[in-house]
Amino acid sequence: MQERRRADLLAKRQKLEEMREMRKAREASRTNARQEEASNSSPRKGMKDIDDIIDSIRSPRGSSHGSTTMPGTPTLRPGESSPSGRASRASERSDRISVGYEGRSVNGSNLPPSGRVSRGSDTGSDTLGRGKFISPSEPAPDPPETAPISSGNLTEPTPISQVPERNESILPPLPKKPKVEFYNREVQTSTYETVPVGPTEAEIRQRIQAEVEAARVARERELEEENNQMAKEIEDEIRDLTEEERASIFSAPEFFEFFEQSSKIMQRALNDPYDYTRDYRIGTDGTSVDSEGKRVRELCAFHDERWTKNRSITDIDWSPKYPELTAASYNKNPTAINDPDGIVAIWNMHLVDRPEFVFHSQSDVLSVSFSPFHPNLVFGGTYSGQILLWDTRAKHLPILKSPLSAAGHTYPVYAMQMVGTQNAHNLITSSTDGMVCSWLVDMLAQPQETLELVHAGHNKTNEVAITTFDFPDNETATFWVGTEEGNVYQANRYDRAGSKAGLNQHDIYKGHSGPVTGLHFHPLVGPVDFSDIFLTSSVDWTVKLWKAKSIAKPSISVNIIPPIYSFEDADDYVYDVKWHPNHPAVFGSVDGSGRFDLWNLNIDTEVPIITTSVGSGRAINKLAWDRKDGRRAALGCSDGKLYIFDVGDVGVPRESEWVDLQKTMAGILSGGAGQSGLPGEQESRSLNSSVNGR
Amino acid sequence: VPSEIESTLNHISSHRNVRGVMVLSREGPIIRHTGAAFEGEHGRKYAGVIKKIVDACKHGFDETIEGGDDLKFLRIRTKKHEIMISPDERYILVVLQHPA
Repeated sequence: MQERRRADLLAKRQKLEEMREMRKAREASRTNARQEEASNSSPRKGMKDIDDIIDSIRSPRGSSHGSTTMPGTPTLRPGESSPSGRASRASERSDRISVGYEGRSVNGSNLPPSGRVSRGSDTGSDTLGRGKFISPSEPAPDPPETAPISSGNLTEPTPISQVPERNESILPPLPKKPKVEFYNREVQTSTYETVPVGPTEAEIRQRIQAEVEAARVARERELEEENNQMAKEIEDEIRDLTEEERASIFSAPEFFEFFEQSSKIMQRALNDPYDYTRDYRIGTDGTSVDSEGKRVRELCAFHDERWTKNRSITDIDWSPKYPELTAASYNKNPTAINDPDGIVAIWNMHLVDRPEFVFHSQSDVLSVSFSPFHPNLVFGGTYSGQILLWDTRAKHLPILKSPLSAAGHTYPVYAMQMVGTQNAHNLITSSTDGMVCSWLVDMLAQPQETLELVHAGHNKTNEVAITTFDFPDNETATFWVGTEEGNVYQANRYDRAGSKAGLNQHDIYKGHSGPVTGLHFHPLVGPVDFSDIFLTSSVDWTVKLWKAKSIAKPSISVNIIPPIYSFEDADDYVYDVKWHPNHPAVFGSVDGSGRFDLWNLNIDTEVPIITTSVGSGRAINKLAWDRKDGRRAALGCSDGKLYIFDVGDVGVPRESEWVDLQKTMAGILSGGAGQSGLPGEQESRSLNSSVNGR
Repeated sequence: VPSEIESTLNHISSHRNVRGVMVLSREGPIIRHTGAAFEGEHGRKYAGVIKKIVDACKHGFDETIEGGDDLKFLRIRTKKHEIMISPDERYILVVLQHPA
């Protein structure tokens, strides 16, 4: 290949020489003048150097002659092939060539651009000639092309002599590419200094920009390659773990904690049904979930396969701080003997599938209460008489326990309540042996006070088996208890003028024929004070309304106080009754057939205004209204499910409700010590009654 | 795999809109995955992408916001899916759901 070319070239040399000699004559004057400026010897030196370079190029670069086909990517070449070696050579060449070009720069400023456009074979020829970059991107030095190329060279006497070698130098154009970069920067400036030519400047600039851009492109590609490599590495890391690694990860406690937290957050996020990217401009299908005003509907039913299966709910309390949290206490699961006997589960309305927290207890938890003054603390009273304190910040075991000794309770604690203010508060608990203890929150080691309620005058036993108790609003020293025999008594915590601590022996609220299951005083809310009215529910299928005797005038002799009204609508044990926190005339009751009754005394005193069947017909043990606005009621079922119901507008009182209730109460009271009130008044009211959801 | 974690994972996966659940370690390797969306190669790509997203967010928030800020939860809503990412110091929990 080379030999053929050389033969061709040799053939052409003569022709070229002739043509150049002609040019020489023409430009003799011009070039002489210019050459005198620069050193005459330098071009010669440059030429010799170039020859050396070319020779050195030719030998190693036998294969790359034909590969000069990348006009557009001169800079990649150096990158692709061993840059270091080429660079050194290129630098050498560039230096030498730069010298040569400097020498020739006298002739024209096309040198730098010519050298720059070292794409293909034209570098050699272009270096010789001026800015005549005729078909610059021709890699293989074809003989016909050398002719036009050399014609360009004819203008220059000195380079013409070098044409034969140059033609050969056309063969390895590649090395000139790296050279191009270097000497561009070196020579370019010098040529500009010497002979700035207008049009070629622009071309020079363009070429510089092109080169720079090419360099940038090359760099970007390198970066891309690096990125790809990184990505591959990362992908390699996304590999499967070995079983041991998996096992070690799973056993790490941090993993467990992370998983608990993250899965809770995830489930709350999953539960949120609102689509926040919803576009309201698009029409939707007409179904809209709308709550009808008076209807009671179920919001959710909390239960957990793992924890609440086969257990019954024994007590419910809403959190005073976070209105979406509810605590429910559960009794024993007879089928799971290894599980703790009693648990307390804190449920979150936004996280339906599982409890936020689960607290364990060694004995069935019969009563639960959030501490109103510390949002993290939860108290529980158990079947064994122990009082337990859990903290939501701690784990599932209680942080404090009362002792199982005679100092505390030794019988099941069915009721408890927190009384007092932020600075001075006590937990009052009662057990079925008549003991009422008062505890300080942080000291459960022994109760602050104990009070044993005994009823001396009783014909059978003096023990008072307390099933439930309640303090009237704003009272902390006197309370009323409901007992297993059906009577309700009043008791004092401390000695007072005229009455001693303990059970008030004289006043007996007699009316129920079975154990009292629920006792609730009217909440003190609104303009009229009804806080001496209380409701009781009992196993005898009735709910009774009572007026508490004033404690200011203690009785001296035995006084049997009957209820002022009795609600006889139920056909099963009534397990709980609770006044509505906002509406003075509304209360709810739950019974053993799964019925949830809503009563409104201003509308109808004989039948509930709305009756709902809850769940699968199992007994509902407890009812708790939510503290904030009483829109929701929590119902604890004996199948372990905690139902949350929304009562809608039933609980929203109008201004006149209090006055109406006063009239109702007056009517009831004037109806005598009767069970069913005035028939006349009842009829008139029932005519006005609204939805009777029986 | 401990049974509690397993049962919770199943619970999340069986949620009506969820198409896949994946637990990653912060550096990349997948610890556990369930669901159709994260199978095999596809899952690996997701893992790579999610790792990049979490790292980018973490760097971004650590540096740009004064006093630094910790990444707690990412909820990416695309036209077809919703990806919820709960990152931690060491692990990442990813859930892909079909938005209702």
